[in-house]
Amino acid sequence: MFILDDLLLREFGLCIPGLDIIWTLEQIRDFALKELYNPEKVQNQIKENRMLFEFGEISKEEYERKNDDLLQKLKLARRSVEMNISVRTDILGAR
Amino acid sequence: MNEDDRGIGKYVYCIIKSNGEKKSFGNIGFEGGEVYTLEYRDFCPVVSDVPVKEYEVCEKDVELQKKVIEHIMKDNSVLPMAYGMVFKNKKLLMIAMSAGYRAMKKAFIEIDNRVELGIKVLLPKDTACMDGIDKCKSEYMGSLKKLAVQTKDLKLFSNRLIVNASFLVEKNMIDIFSNEVNILESKYPDLKVQYSGPWPPYNFVDIHILSKNRGGFR
Repeated sequence: MFILDDLLLREFGLCIPGLDIIWTLEQIRDFALKELYNPEKVQNQIKENRMLFEFGEISKEEYERKNDDLLQKLKLARRSVEMNISVRTDILGAR
Repeated sequence: MNEDDRGIGKYVYCIIKSNGEKKSFGNIGFEGGEVYTLEYRDFCPVVSDVPVKEYEVCEKDVELQKKVIEHIMKDNSVLPMAYGMVFKNKKLLMIAMSAGYRAMKKAFIEIDNRVELGIKVLLPKDTACMDGIDKCKSEYMGSLKKLAVQTKDLKLFSNRLIVNASFLVEKNMIDIFSNEVNILESKYPDLKVQYSGPWPPYNFVDIHILSKNRGGFR
C-alpha cells in the first residue's frame, strides 16, 4: 500500500523523505554503493595487505594475488567516483 | 638533435646540499641511467636522464626511486622528491629550483643530519581488543616522542593497528631510539612491532611548487 502511495505521489513529482519507502531504499542503495566503491577504504585494504605481508602473516603469493584484486577494485572505485555512480537523475522529477 | 628534441628529460630523485662539484652515483636510475647532480646555487638536484612521460605508480618503479634515494642518503642529507617528478629539460628544472629555493632552504634546516624512523604496532591476529591498549599507545608515543625532533601520527588504516607514526630523529640519536623501541617491545611481548628506517624524511617535507594541482614539484 505504502509503495503504491509512494509511486502515485512520485508520478506527481512528490516524495516525502523519511516517509517515502522508495526514498529509504535509495538511501540504503546509495550507502551500499558508497561502501563498495569507496577508494579510501580500498586504499586502506591495500596498505593492510602490504602490512600483513611485511609482518609475515601472509605469503608472497597470497599478498600478490590480493594486491592485484585490490588494485582492480581501486580502479573501479575511482571510476565510480568520477562517474558519480550513486547519483541518479530521475526523469520524472522526483529523486 | 639535442636531448629536448629527443624527448629526454630530467627525473629528479631528491635534492642535496652542493659541495661545488658534480657527483655521480652510478647507473642506478630508471632504465639503468646514470644518477648525477646538477647545481642550483647551494643545492643540487639529483637526476637521471629519462624519456619524458607520465610515470604511472607501479611498485617496481617506486621501489627503484626509494632505493636511489636511500643510496644517496648514506652520505648526504636529502630532501626527497615525490614519485614521478620529470622535467622536460634542465632549464625548466632550474626555474622550479628557483621558485622553490626559499622553501627548500627552510626545509633543509629542519631535516639536516636527521632521518625518519617509523613505528607500527599491531594487535595479535584474531584479537578484537586487548586490555591496556590506551596505556600501551601512550607509552609508545610518549617515550619515543621525547627522543625525536618531530613526530607525525599517521593513519590507522587497519583495525589491528594501534600505533602508526613517523619520527624525525637526529642521526646520532638512532641507537638510543632503537634501544627505547627494544625496551617497549619487551614490555609488550604480545604485540607485533615493525620498526623501520632510517628513511629519507618523506613525512616531514611538504613543498609544492609550480604544480597544477599544487600536489607536487614539477
